[in-house]
Amino acid sequence: MTDNILEVHGIHTLYGESHILHGVSFEIKKGQTVSIMGRNGMGKSTTLKSILGIVKPRSGSVLYKGQDIDALPTWKRMRNDIAYVPEGRGMFHNLTVKEHLQMAARKNSRGEEHWTYEQVLDVFPRLQERLTNKGTQLSGGEQQMLAIGRALLTNPDLLILDEATEGLAPLIRKEIWDVIRKIKATGVSTIIVDKNIKVLHELCEQHILIVKGKVQFSGDSQALDANREFIESSLAV
Amino acid sequence: MDMSLFLVQLLNGVQYGLLLFLIASGLTLVFGVMGILNLAHGSMYMIGAYLVYYFASATDSFLLAVIIACVIAMIIGIIIERFLIIHLYNRDHLDQVLLTVGLIFIFNAAQSFIWGNDPLGVEVPELLSSSIQLTDIVEYPVYRLFLSVLCIGIALAMYYVINNTKLGMMIRAGESNREMVENLGVDISKLFTIVFAVGVTLSALAGIVSAPIVSLVPGMGERVLISCFVVVVIGGMGSIKGAFVAALLVGIVDTFASVLLPGMSSMTIYLLMALILIFKPQGLFKS
Repeated sequence: MTDNILEVHGIHTLYGESHILHGVSFEIKKGQTVSIMGRNGMGKSTTLKSILGIVKPRSGSVLYKGQDIDALPTWKRMRNDIAYVPEGRGMFHNLTVKEHLQMAARKNSRGEEHWTYEQVLDVFPRLQERLTNKGTQLSGGEQQMLAIGRALLTNPDLLILDEATEGLAPLIRKEIWDVIRKIKATGVSTIIVDKNIKVLHELCEQHILIVKGKVQFSGDSQALDANREFIESSLAV
Repeated sequence: MDMSLFLVQLLNGVQYGLLLFLIASGLTLVFGVMGILNLAHGSMYMIGAYLVYYFASATDSFLLAVIIACVIAMIIGIIIERFLIIHLYNRDHLDQVLLTVGLIFIFNAAQSFIWGNDPLGVEVPELLSSSIQLTDIVEYPVYRLFLSVLCIGIALAMYYVINNTKLGMMIRAGESNREMVENLGVDISKLFTIVFAVGVTLSALAGIVSAPIVSLVPGMGERVLISCFVVVVIGGMGSIKGAFVAALLVGIVDTFASVLLPGMSSMTIYLLMALILIFKPQGLFKS
């Protein structure tokens, strides 16, 4: 068995005629928290979707826990204990908060249950007050909490968060980051797509910068410091 | 109209409405969850009726015939979804209409080939063949009451499954955001097969249980399909609750119209639909 929970080897992904990813490669070790940074439209979300099979890469391969998962449909990849919190949060307008959590809850593929309904509500006390509200009636921050809580209830080994703090008020952002720290402490491998270098620097062991569909930087927080100027200029709008 | 006649017509209207609900619920469920407009839905009603006719005479047991017919209908549903409908999920409604209209022709040809075009009838099972005394002079057939109770039972069961079980939550979630349901590790294609098979089986079941009180004729599926579309449009496309209310409304209005306004009864449900759509263009319960 390999130490890597995820290996991405040279994936090329196209949307119709437009070539989005040009041979993206990186590895994530078990238990690591990894950031993926980059300006909008550089291919961060497409990288995540390629890993999950939501879009199919033209070439390259994705290894998860040492297994080639390219042939698996999205739902089967998720059943192997991957959880995804998409940009836009993926709320259901006709399900209550409680139902969002209930419908997603399951033991992981080894039959373990690290997260229960009660634990998720402990981590997100705001959701407790809104259990009977519909998903789309929540504020942006609450929706994000629900999306993360729902993901946790699938008891994942790899958690993927796409723009989890985007568009939220500073106080809510802080709350979300605090929760991500708690999740990190449980040892779940996590990929975070975000633009907040300061927090990512402190939280993540590894950083990946994607520019125009290519990995332009990959390294730990020390390497991030050494290349700070380059990375910040790559993120500036 | 005196009181007893009114009561009988009301019971008939409710019973017809409940039966319409059984059919329309499958139509609206498949549309709401899967985005599929299945025009062959009425054909399953017809197939159900003919199947129960065939197996009732072959086995001499109505109950056994009902069970066999339901199983066959479900298998037909699974086959249609797996081999045909599966290609339509990413296409527009016009393609769906073309395919499912084609299915209507196939089902009609099969019906005509196997059973011929003469009207057929199924006997009311003996256990339910009596009548009960409603008033001094009015009797009401037990079988029709049984139909109403059965439909109410199925409606309650559907309500429970959709609102209180994990399967029901997944179905509703699929209605709202299909991609996210997959992202949560749910095999959406299996979920769709289940929904479609259950949907067409409900339609077939309606044909099965109404076989003893209607005559089996070619084209019976299309007639019921049109009434069901009226129900689904009045109730709001995709809404089960709406289908329930609308089906009762259509059933009662249609029944009374045929008694009170025999000359124009065939247009009353469309007038009802037009009237409701003026005030509620999305139907009564569009979410």
